Amino acid sequence: MGNIFGRKRRTRVTEQDRAILQLKQQRDKLKQYQKKITLQLEKERLLAKQLLKDGKKEKALLLLKKKRYQDQLLDKTENQIGNLERMVQDIEFAQIEMKVIKGLKVGNDCLKKVHEVMSIEEVERILDETQEAVEYQRQIDDMLAGSLTQEDEDAVLAELEAITQGEDMELPEVPSEPLPEVPKEPEKEPEREREKSKPRQEMLAA
Amino acid sequence: MSFEWPWQYNFPPFFTLQPNVDTRQKQLAAWCSLTLSYCRHRKLYTLDVMEAQESPVFNNKKIERKLSVEAIQVVFEELRKKGNLEWMDKNKTRCLIMWRRPEEWGKLIYQWVSRNGMVNSVFTLYELSNGDDTESEEFHGLEEWMLLRSLQALQTEGKAEIISMDDGKGVKFF
Repeated sequence: MGNIFGRKRRTRVTEQDRAILQLKQQRDKLKQYQKKITLQLEKERLLAKQLLKDGKKEKALLLLKKKRYQDQLLDKTENQIGNLERMVQDIEFAQIEMKVIKGLKVGNDCLKKVHEVMSIEEVERILDETQEAVEYQRQIDDMLAGSLTQEDEDAVLAELEAITQGEDMELPEVPSEPLPEVPKEPEKEPEREREKSKPRQEMLAA
Repeated sequence: MSFEWPWQYNFPPFFTLQPNVDTRQKQLAAWCSLTLSYCRHRKLYTLDVMEAQESPVFNNKKIERKLSVEAIQVVFEELRKKGNLEWMDKNKTRCLIMWRRPEEWGKLIYQWVSRNGMVNSVFTLYELSNGDDTESEEFHGLEEWMLLRSLQALQTEGKAEIISMDDGKGVKFF
């Protein structure tokens, strides 16, 4: 509760913001001046017309001279407004650049910290160890693979060949006539079983 | 764009304060909404009681009825109670009229600012209410006191900060 008076509001308005505001105020004043002159010009143009109509050519000419001068003033004002606005934009952009640099700095610091953790020696060590582990694994593989003889390898390859060829082998056409009735003979079953198990035993032996 | 008058406007008794409490309540409510919508239509931000009596709202020439100054003051007092009006002097002759609350104005301004990607930018008050960029916005032509109040409302929300300089004020949006 006590912070109503004690709280010192930290302002988010920077020096640059104040500078921009000042420039913009200046520009506003010029704009108001511009408005005034434009209105005046319009009035004088009408007046000159009226004077011409009344036959007061001399006066009209004088008025137009004055108008011409004010036209020039208007141009100058326009230029100055342009200058002010450019300045404002420059400041705004510089502020943005400052923020970009700040952002880059944060990123840089972060990257540095990460690199500190990941030193080159550490990486080298890890890579070496990985290399060693790969080597070790290869040795184990060699040892295990070595239990197969050249003969076995050939047999394996032959089998692979058989499988790949068997895949795109063309099948004979399915006969269209119905199959003849064959009486079931129970003694044939075991024979078939034996036939089936034969190749498996061969494989096991291999 | 012409203003659409409510039906009561052409109803003569509407221009005399009604003695019956219930009727009077309804009448005042109708007057309040009529006043606010008329000011909104004409973009009026300050009213003078004497002048107001001559303005079409309180003076219907067609049916030759006008609301008395006393009655106008009753209506205005009612508006003040609702928070739409503030007296500018003790004698209650001039008042500020807020047909849109400062917070609502603030919201509109902030919407415009963020829509145009100008958050984090500095503006002068003149630029906001009279600048070329705000020409088509509803808050264009907003009177300075009203503008300042809406910005103050934004400031309490933390969306803006008013900057005071030697000549004039500015605002930065966040």
